[in-house]
Amino acid sequence: MAMTADQVGATIALDGARKVRGNLTQARIRWMVLAIMLGFGLVGARLVQLGMTETDSTIEGQARDVITATRPPILDRNGLEMAVDIRVPSLYAEPRRIIDVEEAVRKLRTVLPNLSESWLRDRLTGDQGFVWVQRELSPSVEEKVMRLGIPGIDFITESKRFYPGMTEASHILGSTNIDNRGIAGIEKHMDGEDIALLQDLGLARGNALAPVELSVDMRVQHVMHEQLVDAMTRYQAIAAAGVMMDIHTGEIIALASVPDFNPNEPATALVKDSFNRITAGIFEPGSIFKTVTMAGALDSGAVSLTDKFDARFGVRFGRFTIEDFHGKHRILSLPEVYKYSSNVGTIHVMQALGKDNFRAFLTRMGFDARVPFELPEMRLPTVPKEFSEVGAATASFGHGLSVSPLHMLAAYAAFVNGGNYVPPTLYKRSVAEAEPLYRRVIQPSTSEAIRYLMRLNAIGQGGSGSQMNKLALGFRVGGKTGTAEKVVDGRYSSNKVTNFFGSAFPLENPRYAMVIMVDEPKAENPQSGTTAGWNAGTVTGRIVQRVAPMLGIAPDFSPLLDESLVPAALQGGPVGSHFN
Amino acid sequence: MIRNLNIVLIFSAVVMLAGVYALKFSIENTASQRTALIAMIDEQEGQISLLKADEAVLNQPGHIEPIVRRHQAALAIEPVRQEQFGSFADLPMRPAKPNSAAMNSLFESLEAGVDPIDAILSLEGIE
Repeated sequence: MAMTADQVGATIALDGARKVRGNLTQARIRWMVLAIMLGFGLVGARLVQLGMTETDSTIEGQARDVITATRPPILDRNGLEMAVDIRVPSLYAEPRRIIDVEEAVRKLRTVLPNLSESWLRDRLTGDQGFVWVQRELSPSVEEKVMRLGIPGIDFITESKRFYPGMTEASHILGSTNIDNRGIAGIEKHMDGEDIALLQDLGLARGNALAPVELSVDMRVQHVMHEQLVDAMTRYQAIAAAGVMMDIHTGEIIALASVPDFNPNEPATALVKDSFNRITAGIFEPGSIFKTVTMAGALDSGAVSLTDKFDARFGVRFGRFTIEDFHGKHRILSLPEVYKYSSNVGTIHVMQALGKDNFRAFLTRMGFDARVPFELPEMRLPTVPKEFSEVGAATASFGHGLSVSPLHMLAAYAAFVNGGNYVPPTLYKRSVAEAEPLYRRVIQPSTSEAIRYLMRLNAIGQGGSGSQMNKLALGFRVGGKTGTAEKVVDGRYSSNKVTNFFGSAFPLENPRYAMVIMVDEPKAENPQSGTTAGWNAGTVTGRIVQRVAPMLGIAPDFSPLLDESLVPAALQGGPVGSHFN
Repeated sequence: MIRNLNIVLIFSAVVMLAGVYALKFSIENTASQRTALIAMIDEQEGQISLLKADEAVLNQPGHIEPIVRRHQAALAIEPVRQEQFGSFADLPMRPAKPNSAAMNSLFESLEAGVDPIDAILSLEGIE
């Protein structure tokens, strides 16, 4: 069909039938492509929309993982559980899914009658996605609620902390709140370390967490707790506390303070007077501090075991005169000063050392700062920065300064283990792990002298530890009593006292140190007294008598063992003559 | 040719469709089994945790001691005293063993009516 432009006026273009069909097909394809693209666009847009919406998976502001997070079990040094997690069902509601609130309230109250009706109605009404109804229920209640078949009501399994030892190790373990966070004791310390981080990351689930091994021996802990509770009634004391430590590793074997609380009911932890007296209580230590004075003076070489001190008259400071409690009023040798707990003699010993050297020794023994320890409940000791003459004199026998029983324990451990200060711990630690932490504070020879003095105080005639030794015969215990008068209305009162007994055993090869405190004891019977030997001392004796076999220490009555404690400076003379 | 191919394709499509559906249902079935198992494991873990806690309570020295005290009279037991401890070093040496072979032969000869003392006496010249 050849046509030229000039021939054509009004062109009539005629397309062939095939071409028309082809155009039509192309138009249809275009429409189809458009429709398909629209369709895919819709699907894509919906996908984006779905991706943008955030589903609220939190439980009242907390991630679900945190609620169901577990804590590692806590074991004692022999593998006995001290704290475990139990799974308990907790009842929650999704108010936006509840169809008939009235019916739900009525039915729920048939199983949980202690829930207030108006509170429950309030709780279940509304548009929230999640509300707690009641947490930590028993499996039988769960069963009953499930049988009610209320829509929008369900259970979630929570981990709850359970302490099978009940009150026995309360101050060591502390407690956790309903969200499984540690609020006191080692539980709080663990959270500070890394458990909280693991829980936040959602890793602390299931049974994957390795158990935490403590240094505590639950058998010893039980005996100590039982004896302290016994002491509370026996001596009508207002409080009692005790702590025992492995002197070579610094591991705390037992730590108890009564009155205490039940960690299974965290609210009881907040009751007044149930604080941990071992770490969070500071007291004037009284005569158990004389061991510190003796150690400092002997270590400096200022005095020796053979020196004699004039204890005939009191020491005068201006208007004050310091006298002895049971004065001997004669010249005493150094071991006698310790045995008869002579304040006057101890002041002379301190003066031979010099008050500034004495103050420096207290710093060396860690009496200026908190004891490095895991429990968060700690209090700073109050020791004057500088001593006046009279201040140093009273400090030499443990008055005018306040330290925690844990301070005394750490010092006693260093005095008997050969002279190394080892920071106490609640976690398991071997001797090899402990050795790098050792800090030498006194010479090994001074440590030997202190061991002799402590044993002398237990078996020597008139020694204040004889009550204790009578109960713990054969276990070679030695120690020092301390009866600190309390300040009542600005004066030292002689009938309100805090009693201490610092001890170590078995002394020929010491392994354990212990400090026992009995607060405001009364005489057990008219024949006994209120000084420390009668209460803190006998408690120590009873504890050692029961726990020494558990700790692998067999009784031995051989006098040769005691004789081996006599330092070289005193040797010579008949057997036993150094323990009179 | 193409028609045959189409028929084959249609048939295979139908078969695959049926297969996919069967797979879907079996997977749904497996998933629900899995959910049930998870729920069961969860429940049993909960029970185990309770049992473990029970066991821990029963193992506590503080739980055992009152029981021991309750049965102290019936079982005639009391806390060990220091004097009751001993060691292997405290035991006396074991006495020398009797010569059982010689004893046996002696008794056998006596049984047979032969008293060895006669032989000894005659050897010594004593009647």
